[in-house]
Amino acid sequence: MPEINSGDTAWILASAALVMLMTPGLALFYGGLVRRKNVLSTIMHSFFILGLVSVTWVLWGYTLAFGPDTGLGLIGGLEWLGLESVTGAPSDVYATTVPHLAFMAFQMMFAIITPALITGAFAERKRFKAFVLFAVAWSTFVYAPIAHWVWSPDGWLFDLGVLDFAGGTVVHLSSGIAALVAALFIGRRTGLVEPATEPHDIPMTVLGAGLLWFGWFGFNAGSALSANGVAATAFVTTNTAAGMAAITWVTISWLHKGTPSVIGAAIGAVAGLVAITPAAGFVTPAASILIGLGVGVICYGAAQLRLRSHIDDALDVFAVHGVGGAFGAIATGVFATTAVNAAGFDGLLNGNPGQVVTQLIGVGSVALYSATATAAILFVINLLVPIRVPGTEEETGLDLAQHGEAAYQS
Amino acid sequence: MVAFALASFAVLLIAWIVAPDQPRSTAHMDPAPPEVEPAAA
Repeated sequence: MPEINSGDTAWILASAALVMLMTPGLALFYGGLVRRKNVLSTIMHSFFILGLVSVTWVLWGYTLAFGPDTGLGLIGGLEWLGLESVTGAPSDVYATTVPHLAFMAFQMMFAIITPALITGAFAERKRFKAFVLFAVAWSTFVYAPIAHWVWSPDGWLFDLGVLDFAGGTVVHLSSGIAALVAALFIGRRTGLVEPATEPHDIPMTVLGAGLLWFGWFGFNAGSALSANGVAATAFVTTNTAAGMAAITWVTISWLHKGTPSVIGAAIGAVAGLVAITPAAGFVTPAASILIGLGVGVICYGAAQLRLRSHIDDALDVFAVHGVGGAFGAIATGVFATTAVNAAGFDGLLNGNPGQVVTQLIGVGSVALYSATATAAILFVINLLVPIRVPGTEEETGLDLAQHGEAAYQS
Repeated sequence: MVAFALASFAVLLIAWIVAPDQPRSTAHMDPAPPEVEPAAA
């Protein structure tokens, strides 16, 4: 019978609370980037998902993602429906030194923020009703299976040896790809002034980025599932990569556009946090500097390419989370070392080039599944409820047209 | 108990599908009336 460790339990519960704070942080991050007539609707997407997935995860999400495997490594069974048999006693399989409910709650916060990330792609034009149905369907049919593939000990990507410490593929790649598909499906905003609309509240965005950075310590260091040296490593690599990516992004934008952009600092930090997520507990702090540098350059380039395209991924979810998540997953295959975490594998630079191939298989399969399933979900929902609001509502702004409220009085 | 919890969520799901798509009153979307100067005493 596994025994509960009070230090581990305290850390996992605190980490769950930290990760929970990331979703309101994301709401502010996105809210500041949109026009003032759409700030409430943008914030509402994240806040509603916080409530929605808190319930669906307890009812069926957790058992589909982490329940006993149904046989093919694709999805969990229904044994833990409604958290039946998930109690204050430790699980035999997951985080065996903390209550099973603590592990479930920690994972719940990941399940909440992942669909919330996608909302940046269809900001300023998605019908709220369609958004609600999309969030339920996506967290059920996309997030839960992918989490099972990668994090369940019976998942097929886990069996293959894919390393994903805290969700580079499960959270960021899956949501980034879904964001790209959603942006293509829903189409460009009307009356859009290129290259981009002006963010209406940059301090709000920076505050949101700060809350995301703070919460990410729970996201990554908490994913050690124990209060130990791996958690400390993940804490340091997370902070270092975020810092390096932020200053890299600012430097590039400074050289490219002539000014050290404040928004660039915020987005760069988030890109660094995304890229270090799969690697945090498998790489050294020195490697995290290189990962931060690499993702700063690559995601900046991706965002510039997106601006030149006709794809209106409004808040660059694909460029930051899709590209950053894929880069981080591959970088994990390059820099991973068992000297940091004996439960992982060595990567390319430590004599195991095959790990890069394994990571590429993980990236490709998650991207392919997320793209296909997201497109199918959007297609079906669009048959029931038009996903996009009419042009007049878009012109009025979703705050008034969809929610009947205004963020500001003048 | 789990069945009742699932049923309660199903009720909400149905409510979301049939709920109105816009605010019932659109008065808040009308342009504000012009401000009137107070009459001189």
